[in-house]
Amino acid sequence: MASTQTLLSPAELAYLHSSLSLTPPIRPDGRSSTQFRPLVAETGILPGTNGSARICFADGTEAIVGVKAEVERTKSALTTTEDETVHRLEGEFVEGLAGAGGNSAGNIDEEDNDGLEGQNEWVELSVEIPGYRDDDSGTVFLSALLTEALLADGNLTKKLRINTRFHWKLYLDILLISPPLSYPLPLLSLTTHLALLSTRLPRLKSEGDEDPFFDDDWAAAPYLYPRENGTSGKATLRPPISLLVMAVGNNIIFDPAKEELAVADVALAVSIGDGKDNNSNAMDTDTRNLRLLSVRTIDPPSRLTPPGVPNATNTAYGAAAGTTAQKQPEARAAESEAVEGVWKPPRGGAKPLVMAALVQKVLEKGGVTDEVLDALDAVELE
Amino acid sequence: MADRRRINGPAGATLPPVYLNEDAQPSDDSKISRTRAANAIRKLYLKTGVTPSASGSAYLEIEAPGGGAVSGLKLSCTVHGPRSLPRSTPFSPHIILSTHVKYAPFATKQRHGYLRDPMERDLGTHLEAALRGAIIADRWPKSGVDVIISIIEGDQDRQTSKSQELGSWETMNALAGCITVASAALADAGIDCVDTIAGGVAALVKDAGDNNSPRIVIDPIPLEHEKILSACCVAYLPTRDEVTNLWFKGDLPASDMELYTQLVETGIQAAKSANLVLVECLHETMG
Amino acid sequence: MSTLAIPGQLLGSAAKFQPGPGTHIHESNLYSSLLGSVVITQPAKAPGPTKRLNKIINTTTTPAELPTISVSRSGVSEKQRETLPEVGNIVLCRVIRITPGQAVVAILICGDTVLDAEWQGLIRAQDVRATEKDRVKIYESFRPGDIVRAEVISLGDQANYYLSTARNELGVIIASSEAGNAMYPVNWKEYRDPETGLSEPRKVAKPY
Repeated sequence: MASTQTLLSPAELAYLHSSLSLTPPIRPDGRSSTQFRPLVAETGILPGTNGSARICFADGTEAIVGVKAEVERTKSALTTTEDETVHRLEGEFVEGLAGAGGNSAGNIDEEDNDGLEGQNEWVELSVEIPGYRDDDSGTVFLSALLTEALLADGNLTKKLRINTRFHWKLYLDILLISPPLSYPLPLLSLTTHLALLSTRLPRLKSEGDEDPFFDDDWAAAPYLYPRENGTSGKATLRPPISLLVMAVGNNIIFDPAKEELAVADVALAVSIGDGKDNNSNAMDTDTRNLRLLSVRTIDPPSRLTPPGVPNATNTAYGAAAGTTAQKQPEARAAESEAVEGVWKPPRGGAKPLVMAALVQKVLEKGGVTDEVLDALDAVELE
Repeated sequence: MADRRRINGPAGATLPPVYLNEDAQPSDDSKISRTRAANAIRKLYLKTGVTPSASGSAYLEIEAPGGGAVSGLKLSCTVHGPRSLPRSTPFSPHIILSTHVKYAPFATKQRHGYLRDPMERDLGTHLEAALRGAIIADRWPKSGVDVIISIIEGDQDRQTSKSQELGSWETMNALAGCITVASAALADAGIDCVDTIAGGVAALVKDAGDNNSPRIVIDPIPLEHEKILSACCVAYLPTRDEVTNLWFKGDLPASDMELYTQLVETGIQAAKSANLVLVECLHETMG
Repeated sequence: MSTLAIPGQLLGSAAKFQPGPGTHIHESNLYSSLLGSVVITQPAKAPGPTKRLNKIINTTTTPAELPTISVSRSGVSEKQRETLPEVGNIVLCRVIRITPGQAVVAILICGDTVLDAEWQGLIRAQDVRATEKDRVKIYESFRPGDIVRAEVISLGDQANYYLSTARNELGVIIASSEAGNAMYPVNWKEYRDPETGLSEPRKVAKPY
């Protein structure tokens, strides 16, 4: 998907690249380098879901996310069968085996830990983008990226645990309604964030390991991400967001449009979580505690753009047309130094320092991430 | 999405029986401990030209640590092309790169089907991003090249009876191996590359037993450590000092940028070590 | 001089050498982009001594006078590197089918290299010969099965390379008659069957 062809001429690409490399950069739509595109967001739009959200970008791209939860039996660590007695038997088998190995307690402890941790299969995320097959590499990449961020800190799966035998299975269905006009990662990530924030699971009435039954009163259903004072305040712990950030020349540009991405030197998807530190339990609700959850390089489409032809080698500008001497079949000419103002698709990668600077910029205190989270806070949850 | 053209094995998990080796010392812990230095990668074996019918090919093997408790990584990569594109493809001034990464059905404890699952496709996308930066695409207009990697043996612990799914940490090791082996195969096929690209993995781990603070190690094996806090896989071009693909995963406080930078630096170190083997192998190829 | 190079190996400054096949420029240095042996070709004409030394001499050597450095696989490994037809190359091809407007050919040999992959080419009626282009009839120039020497004039569209035979030494070099016998050329537009004695029209390549 990152390699979506852009229909820009080499001259346009060269112009875009040089205007984006200026300090400060001049973006085609007049935004500042850290400014996001304006968007309209609402939550709780789908009554049949546990949580939902819709975000509409000013350019008309729109995404809907629905979160559905189902109660599922927890599979034992060893066997696929769900029968409890078999589970016990297998458990003893393990014990016996480990006992022969010397120590059995360690194994059992571990299993208990696993139970508390929650499992990654409990969350299933699917992305659908019109015009792309659902096994298209771009779609798969996006859903892997979003899943990875969600599961990175293990907090979400922990919340899905009901008791040792049952858990919630969470289905996140991400639907892009319009064909993607730009790389849809920020849109999908922000919509998912809002949908998860508005997700509620029915209140559990049963206790312990008995078969779960739930409170019918939807108003009493707690939020998946709990709020400060009951149901009204801000969420204390929030789902992660993934931001798209790219570098051109010496500039770092957030939320690039498709045209801007077409001249990117490097593009990164950075996922950030916002939660309390596991070590220090000091709950300071005013300052965020950002956490870096994942970083992925996005293959910038700039590598697949057509190169420009410098005047020196352009026969239309009086360059010697007949380099006919070089007609050996392997002679690949057109290898030349970069010429100012002539577009040349970037080769190679990015310096590690540039990559570090991109991540640094995202994580900056009081920077763009804070701004985005503040803006998302302001979205009225149903 | 069941594959109906083949006879498929049973759906779901299949667990091979684990027999206790009589000679084996009853280890008091299922974990093995890391014996390598923190900045040493496992031994690599790399050879090009293993598949004569392909334009280029390479085979990579990473030694299995801990006396067979963990299987090593075995990868075979074939490169087909440059070849003409199918007629339906639009004109391209560049070579069109396509990458396939597939676990063999028997590569890991959990059997893999014949169709690529999302994890394998994701690996393919990562590999594509890594290689796209390395090849000089405009040398070969109107043509395509296919890089196909089969993971013959996955890097997975064999002994624990727990049926764990393929963890993401092993995936990173596999990706680093894929990048290195694909680089050798591309050079063997004579596709123009700006540099020899190699992959490396570094991780922030917490070791069992000691109460030390987490440390950064190269080429981590999940079984050797109590817990992996975060890891990153880097595709690195050594002469240009450039990174074409970076994949970081884990949970790091944002205030600790130092740790992140250090982790990436260590990943680059790992890639440099792998690159030494790659360069040696390419020299051998030329005789 | 024959040293080995691996991709990314520094070969020299771009000011001293001209980039040849298998090399690329990065930050005004030449690097290898292939695995192979380094070949340095001196320019065909050694830069002759300037006669009028008292005049202002252009001290900066023009690129044409620089030796070309290239990396090639040939000679080191028996495996032939895949090549692509390129604009200006002379190729040998077989005619697959003809229509009134064009002949569709399969490119077999590019320069001295036999191609592994199947590349398709197109000789349009206006590219068959240099003169009287509007009187060209494809079926009087080529027949399916002919072997044609042609020049690549364009990379063309997604499917075809565009070829031309609009030079004396380009055209049909091997042809067989309707009876199936190998024919010999008699003039610039005819081939003759030695057994039946019948002539068939072709765009005949001038023998070297």
